[in-house]
Amino acid sequence: MSKPSYDPKNIKKIHAHLHSHLPSDPALRVKALETLLVNKGMVNPSNMDKWVEAYSEDVGPKRGAQVIARAWTDPAFRAQLMSDASAAVDAMGFSGPASGHLQAVENTDSLHNVVVCTLCSCYPFALLGMAPNWYKTAAYRSRVVREPRAVLAEFGVDLPADVAVKVWDSTAELRYIVIPQRPAHTEGLSVDELAKLVTRNAMIGTDRDLKAGA
Amino acid sequence: MDGIHDLGGKLGYGAVDVNEPEQPFHNDYDGRMWAISRTARPTGIGIDWWRHVRELIARDDYLNRSYFDSWAQTEMAALVDAGICTLEELLDGCKASGDIPQALTYVEILAENARKAANFGRPVSTKPLFSVGANVVTDMQGHRGHTRLPEYARGKPGRVIKHHGGHVFPDAAARGDEVAGHLYTVAFCARDLWGADANTLDEVMLELWEDYLAPA
Repeated sequence: MSKPSYDPKNIKKIHAHLHSHLPSDPALRVKALETLLVNKGMVNPSNMDKWVEAYSEDVGPKRGAQVIARAWTDPAFRAQLMSDASAAVDAMGFSGPASGHLQAVENTDSLHNVVVCTLCSCYPFALLGMAPNWYKTAAYRSRVVREPRAVLAEFGVDLPADVAVKVWDSTAELRYIVIPQRPAHTEGLSVDELAKLVTRNAMIGTDRDLKAGA
Repeated sequence: MDGIHDLGGKLGYGAVDVNEPEQPFHNDYDGRMWAISRTARPTGIGIDWWRHVRELIARDDYLNRSYFDSWAQTEMAALVDAGICTLEELLDGCKASGDIPQALTYVEILAENARKAANFGRPVSTKPLFSVGANVVTDMQGHRGHTRLPEYARGKPGRVIKHHGGHVFPDAAARGDEVAGHLYTVAFCARDLWGADANTLDEVMLELWEDYLAPA
């Protein structure tokens, strides 16, 4: 097998060549890469189609919402989720990319949690699917560690000054999922009905007060 | 490395687009690139070196090109660097030279997805230097190559809130050496990072390797 050079100078040179010579349209650039990999025998395009389907249909924030709804209704599961989230989601059949070192953090009346990756854009794909674009932008990555309350306000979350904010910057292979608070007046709802109330943003931490009748 | 990717706390990047429609892929090429990253045969290119290759993208391209476009450029640069293809092949195409992997069913793809929960924990022979509750101070200078200590958290006092045992040390892995180091979650008071503007109750938590930390 070929080996990387591990030489940043070599990479900078290659990036400069790619910058000068590749078409500027990203669709054409990705197509060129796909064609090359198919010709080299490294990917099967029909498998690629199915990966796109998987992350459009089955693997997405609906999985995370199932986990949260179960945590709201099943104290033993919630305790396992807090102590070993990787095992808890594996038991639900939701293992996958970035679920190997999963941590759950819970909101309370006096605490709000929000997740970011300032250095790249690490995200718990297996539970939340594809990351929103905003999560990957310079605006979110730069600001949410420094002025989380201002960013949350842009998302419509106005936190009183006496509610603490914990920002989790995913600098290693640990990935975070926020357990939002269960909305009031939802006592009679089933797990599936509760799951429908859980928003993707609430599991990232850019949403807080979930509504009983979403 | 003090690169453009190290964005935490930097000013001037504007508002967050909170009205973005919620959908898995915003362009067809987002999905194609994601799928390439999931299903390509192993190349020997590790995650830490791959991240470093992405960090080395020129400043304007890093900031202005879309996320999956930058994945494509990272993948291409890493493949050329490792000798798996040439620049000319990327630009002009190449003849089919290998059998493509076997087609899988949708159910098999979902099963493959479930197997992608990688374990980055590794045995480490030294005892941990810090226990939960220990006060620490982070390295002032940072590391020159790939590193996971962001600039905003350098030379700062923090408190260990969790020990995770040994994990692959990215600074070494990005140079091709797999070494394990003790990994901790360290809590920083927002005021120690950002000054008096920050709410006294707020904290920022990072996962940091022992190599980045000294006793306070």
